[in-house]
Order: sequence, then C-alpha cells, then structure tokens
Amino acid sequence: MDFSAVGAAAAEALTLASFIGIGGGVLLGYVVGVVPGLSRSVAISIAIPLTFYMSPYIAISFLIGLSKGTAAGSAVSAILLNAPGEASSAATALDGYPLAKQGKPKTALQVGLIASVMGDILATIILIFVAIPFARVALMFGPYEMAAILAFALVFIAGLSSGNVFKGLAAGGLGIFLGTIGLDNQTGLPRLTFGYTELMDGMPLIAVAIGTLALSEMFIQSEKLRYDRANMSVRLENRADDHITMPIFKRILPTIFRGTGIGTFVGALPGLGPSVGSFMSYGMAQKAAKQPELFGKGEPKGIAASESADNAVIPAALIPLFGLGIPGNVSAALLIGAFAIHGITVGPLLLRDNPELLYSIFAGMILASLIMLVLGWYGLMVFAQITRVPPHVVIPIVIFFCLAGMMLQGYGTFGLIILMAFALLGYLMKKYDYSFVTFLVAFIITPMLELNLRQSIILSRGNWEILLNRPIALFFIVCTLIALIALIIRTFQTDKAAAGAPVSE
Amino acid sequence: MKHTFAAVFGATMLIAPMALADSWQPERPMTMVIGFAPGGSTDIQGRVLARTLEEHFGQPVNVVNQPGGGGAVALTRFLNADPDGHTFMFGVMLGLTFSPIVTETEYDIDDFRYAGTLVGGQFGVVARGDAPYQSFEELVAHGKETPMTYAQQLPMDQAIMELIADQEGIDLAIVPTGGGGGMAPLLLGGEVDFAFSGGTHAQYTPTGEMNVLAFLTRERSPFYPDVPTLVELGYPYAMDDFRSFFLPGGTPDEIVQAFEDAARFAVEHEPFVEVTVENTLHPIVFMDAEETEATIRDIRTANEALMAN
Repeated sequence: MDFSAVGAAAAEALTLASFIGIGGGVLLGYVVGVVPGLSRSVAISIAIPLTFYMSPYIAISFLIGLSKGTAAGSAVSAILLNAPGEASSAATALDGYPLAKQGKPKTALQVGLIASVMGDILATIILIFVAIPFARVALMFGPYEMAAILAFALVFIAGLSSGNVFKGLAAGGLGIFLGTIGLDNQTGLPRLTFGYTELMDGMPLIAVAIGTLALSEMFIQSEKLRYDRANMSVRLENRADDHITMPIFKRILPTIFRGTGIGTFVGALPGLGPSVGSFMSYGMAQKAAKQPELFGKGEPKGIAASESADNAVIPAALIPLFGLGIPGNVSAALLIGAFAIHGITVGPLLLRDNPELLYSIFAGMILASLIMLVLGWYGLMVFAQITRVPPHVVIPIVIFFCLAGMMLQGYGTFGLIILMAFALLGYLMKKYDYSFVTFLVAFIITPMLELNLRQSIILSRGNWEILLNRPIALFFIVCTLIALIALIIRTFQTDKAAAGAPVSE
Repeated sequence: MKHTFAAVFGATMLIAPMALADSWQPERPMTMVIGFAPGGSTDIQGRVLARTLEEHFGQPVNVVNQPGGGGAVALTRFLNADPDGHTFMFGVMLGLTFSPIVTETEYDIDDFRYAGTLVGGQFGVVARGDAPYQSFEELVAHGKETPMTYAQQLPMDQAIMELIADQEGIDLAIVPTGGGGGMAPLLLGGEVDFAFSGGTHAQYTPTGEMNVLAFLTRERSPFYPDVPTLVELGYPYAMDDFRSFFLPGGTPDEIVQAFEDAARFAVEHEPFVEVTVENTLHPIVFMDAEETEATIRDIRTANEALMAN
C-alpha cells in the first residue's frame, strides 16, 4: 500500500467540505431509510445529479454514505412501525417490533444502530485490507455455485417461517411464479405479461416489496385502530431500563460478527443483495442460539443479526466493483454511473491509475460510518418520538409515502395498481398466516436462480458429473438437501403434534 | 462549424430571436425521456446531454427515466406525448428495430419522428485476453476442434452466432447472461469461451483482460481500428444500434429541424463528447433526421431477415 497516497487521502477525508458532504449523504439516506416507500436505489438515482457539483471524492462518498444511511435508517421504521423501509430490514421487524411493543423501543433501536455501524465498519475494513487483492476469488463462484447458493438460500429462508410448512410452500410457490414474469432472458419473448409492456422487465420489485411489507401493514394497523385501539402501537414510556446495556451488548456481539461475515460473503458475490444477506444471517443466528424459541418474540440477537448483515452487504458489494468492475447489486451498479459522470472508470484500473481517490473513498466510508453512529444515536431519540404521534396521523402519512415512492419509480398509474394489488395480497397473507417473508424472498431470488440454473445446465451440456469438479457447488447442494430433509421431518412432527392435540388450531 | 454555431447562439442570447427568428424555440421547461434505468450508459449520456440542451435551447431540461423492455415501455408511453417539442426521447433504436419483431408492441416505426443521431453503438464479440485464440479466425479454427460456449445478450447476436457455428461446423452451446454486468464474470471466470459485448469490453481491454475479436457493427469501431467486422471476415451479418432524438408522431417539420440542429450542436459540445467518448466509451456518430429514419428502417429489415432464419 502506498503510504503517501494514504496520508493525502486521510487529509482530504478530513476537510470541512467532506464532513458536510458525507454527513449530508448519511442524513439523507437515514431519512430515506426511515420512510417506507422511498428506497435506496431510488434515492441514489435521484441524488446522482446533485453530485454534479461536488468533487469526485465527495460525490462518491456522499452516495456511499447515502446507501449506508438507508440501511441503518430502515431499521427505525421496521422496529417502530413494523413497516420496514427496505426489504432488507424485514428481518429486523421480526424481533424489533415485538421488543418495541414490550416497552423497549429505544433498546431495539440502539441494538439495531450498533449492529448496523459495527457491521458497516468491519465490512469496510475487510474491503480495504483483504478484499480487493482477493476480488478474483469471486470469479470462482460461477453459475453452478451461484445456482447452488441461491437454492440453499431459498430453502433455508423458507424454513425460517415456522408455521405450517404447506402454507410456506404455497407462499414460496407464489413468489417463484410471480418471479418468472417478464421477458425470457434468452429468447427475449414475453412470459405472462398479457400484453402489458410495463411487465416486460418483470413485476416491479419495489411495488412488490412496498406493497407486501409496508402498505399491507398499514391496512392491518388501520383495522386494529378500529377494533383494538388500546393495544396497537408502540409507546414510548421512558422506562429506566429502556436502553442498551453492557450485558446485552456482550450477548449480541458474536451475532454481529457472524452477521458481518455472512453480509460480507453475500455482498461480495454479484447479484445476491442485502435481503438475502439479512435473512440468511437471521436464520443462522436462530439456528446457533441456545434458545431459538425466543426469536420472533423480541430477541435482540435477531435485530443484531439482520442489521449487521444488511449493512455489511453495502461495503462488501464494492469488492467486486473495485476489484473487477462488476457491481455487486443494484446500488453498486448505480455507483458505476456516478463514477462515470465524474470521469472515472471504475474497476481494477482504479487502484492503478487513481490510488489517492480510492483511498480517499475508503477514508470517506469509515467517516460515513462514524457520522452514522452519531447521527443515529441522537436521531433515534428524535425518531422515537414518532411513537408519540397518534396512529391515525402516522398511518395516512406512511400510506402517502408508499404511493409517492411508487410514483417516483416512473411506472405511472400502472405501478399504483400493482402496488395496491400487492398490499392486498400482503394483507391477506398476514391475516391468514402465510409467510410473506418466504413469498418475498422467493420472488427476489427466482430470476437469479433461473438464470444461473439455466446457464449451468447449458454449460454442463446436461452432464451431472461436472459437479464433482465443483466442490463449492456440491457443498451448497448438500446443505440444501439437508435443509430440505430437516424441513420435511419438521412437517411430520408438527403434523403428529397437531393430530395429538384435539381441536386446537 | 462549432464557432459559427456558438456565434449564432451567442447572438440569440443577447438580442432575443433574430438569427433563429424563423426556427422553433421551446417556451417552457422540456422533458427528456430515457427508456433505461439511471446509471446505465444511455442515462449517463442523456443527463449530460440534458445540460447541453439547456445551453442550446435556453430552457431547463428534466430527465425522466422510464425503464423496461429495452426501451419498449418508454416508447409505448411516448405514443401519448404531445407533438409540441417539449417532450422528447433520447432513445436507442433497438426498441424499434428489434422489439416489434419478437413481441407485439403497441407502437411501430411509423408512430414517431426521428430528429438526428448522436451516438453510435459498438456491439462486438469478445474473448479473454489469455485465450488460445487472439482473432476471430483463430476462434473458428479452435471451434472446429473442440466444443465451445458462448454468452449471448440478445436473440439477434445468438442468431448470428448460430448461423456462423452451423456454417463452420462448430459445436456451440449458447447461454443467456442477462446483460453486460452478467457477461463479465462469466467470461473472466472462464465459464464461457467467448461472449457478446454491448460495450462492457471497453473497461477490460486496456488491461488486456479481454480482447475484441470482431465487431458485429457495419463499420469498425474508431477505438479499435485493427479489429475487423464480421462482414469483412466474410459473414454477411451485422447488428447495429444508434442513440437518437425521437419525437412524437405528428411533430411539425420545424421542430424536427430544431432537434436536428440541437443534435448538431451537441456532437460538437465538449462536455457531451467527453462523457460519451471517454467515460462511457461510445463513438460520437452524427446523422441528420432523414438518415436516422432511413437507418432505423434498414436495420429493422436486416433484423427481420436475421430472425426469420
């Protein structure tokens, strides 16, 4: 590493302009993350023109700060409103919302923030010191490996939804089915688009995510407002024990490390994205826990697992971007555009041609994490006040943001109709206890799984033996089978239990 | 050319309509539609172009992204735009030259007007820099001995490669990639032997990680003057694409003329040229309105013939 370049980079990172730029990015991202309906990729694409007037270093750090801010901010709405700001924080809501309802909203927010910031900083450090020289390792993950990992993620995450396995299959099946809509990626022929050009690129992900996660939750809460008012929302009680303590921190620390590892792995592989990372991490934490039954009932480890992985994905997605020029996810792809506008071609050449800039960006990323800690810490005191706002005010505002966020996507009225349809679907799924998490993850994974599976089958020319030369793929296939068998065994056990207990549903 | 235009432009700024008194001028902010998501090369060029046009027309230009179906979504919505010149599209031709062949689109070439081309495409066939074949001839020779794999991105490049593989007796397996971002890991990771590239190669050829073996375009790329086209190699297939101004059908001639002039201004305008050539690595290609429309119809006919096979 060139130390004079590092010194110059640190100097640039510590100017007032960069503090303002990066701080502004983190703050903006945090707000976008908090507001359900506004998503990370939309925020980045809207913010790119703002960066025209910044220096390349500040511009890129601003955008990375913005992504980091959304990942941390989305935990707030997940915890306080049960309406995650991003799909990747849906796992945070599973424990965050119950903990907040138990009168500990601040504890939940603080656990989420600490896990976010730690996941973020650790993954950034991995990016700087380990990953770029080893970015080529990502190339070992070809279509066979990716297909196997995706299949594993699908089965593993589906297994998380504890309820009825057949309902899980139904939810996952619907997700897979809707995930196949759109142009066939080889022949270019439309599948199930029924003549709607808007569906050519598939069901718009944002509509599906906002609809099933945030908007449907607002329907549920409106209903509660009518029938179950006393017991519906999170209240800020200013209890003395409502803050993160050293024992809690020590308890969640191993989970944060595990979450960071999983998030970094998932982020470094092009295409997987933060939702897969946070749910994988949540599932692993639950499997590793001594008392897995506490998950879903306000277990701080659940929040820490989801948030640390969610945030670790963001710096990790830059590993293939800086090392190979391949974006790890949508936000990283948008960054390529931002780099290009500033006259920088991102990729392996960046380290050779522009090391000062690259080190400045790294310094900026660490700075962004620290700013996020400070902003988040004071911000959550402010955001916690949301709980004082009566639900009949909060609900319409959130609904407004969901609809406005959809309009920003440029799908027009068609987008709103799709959004409403998925909100209704999400409402029914929540009402009748179908796992919307399984549905959403299946929907997100299916297009990638299809492409990689298809590539594997064509490239192997249908020859199974090729897997013997692919130990990583083989490993994940075995894991998938084990997960599948475990799931089947659990189904039979629950069936027996159900048969044993007479009329109880 | 640049200077005369700058002079005329400067004059109009000072003494309101004089030199351009008889030509069309926008009266309010304009909207530029881009049929792709933010961040891609069309979007990057388009956003810089919007600022160039603000300078040219003296009105703010808002950029609206309407992604989907390779530009088809934006074109479908564009059917309803007012033909008053205030809404226009910076579009790629594929949505007109290709999409209507494979799917039922609500629009066709006759539904729009075409006002000038600014940017050329550079579709090519690429292989890894360390592959045992360094030219397309060597690739064909290699393919006659061993089965090969190819990563496609569009049904058209697949059709061309299938025709060549048949003709040369190559055992070729073709995989989909889902775009340029998916192609690079497959090729660099050694999963496929060669691949289609819509422009992704530009960032890998300087390091020697990728080699362009042949261009699918009718003419050679100015950035790789030594790389031949397929036509030069004796395969009568070509695949071209350009980025142009599209206007709603029924737009009056004077507005089309004004956009043709704007295109002429932009291809000489430093920031736009710089971002196009140096950052997104596309060649600047200017065509007037008439030539743009003729090119679209030409390419469409060629694509229809290709896909009919």
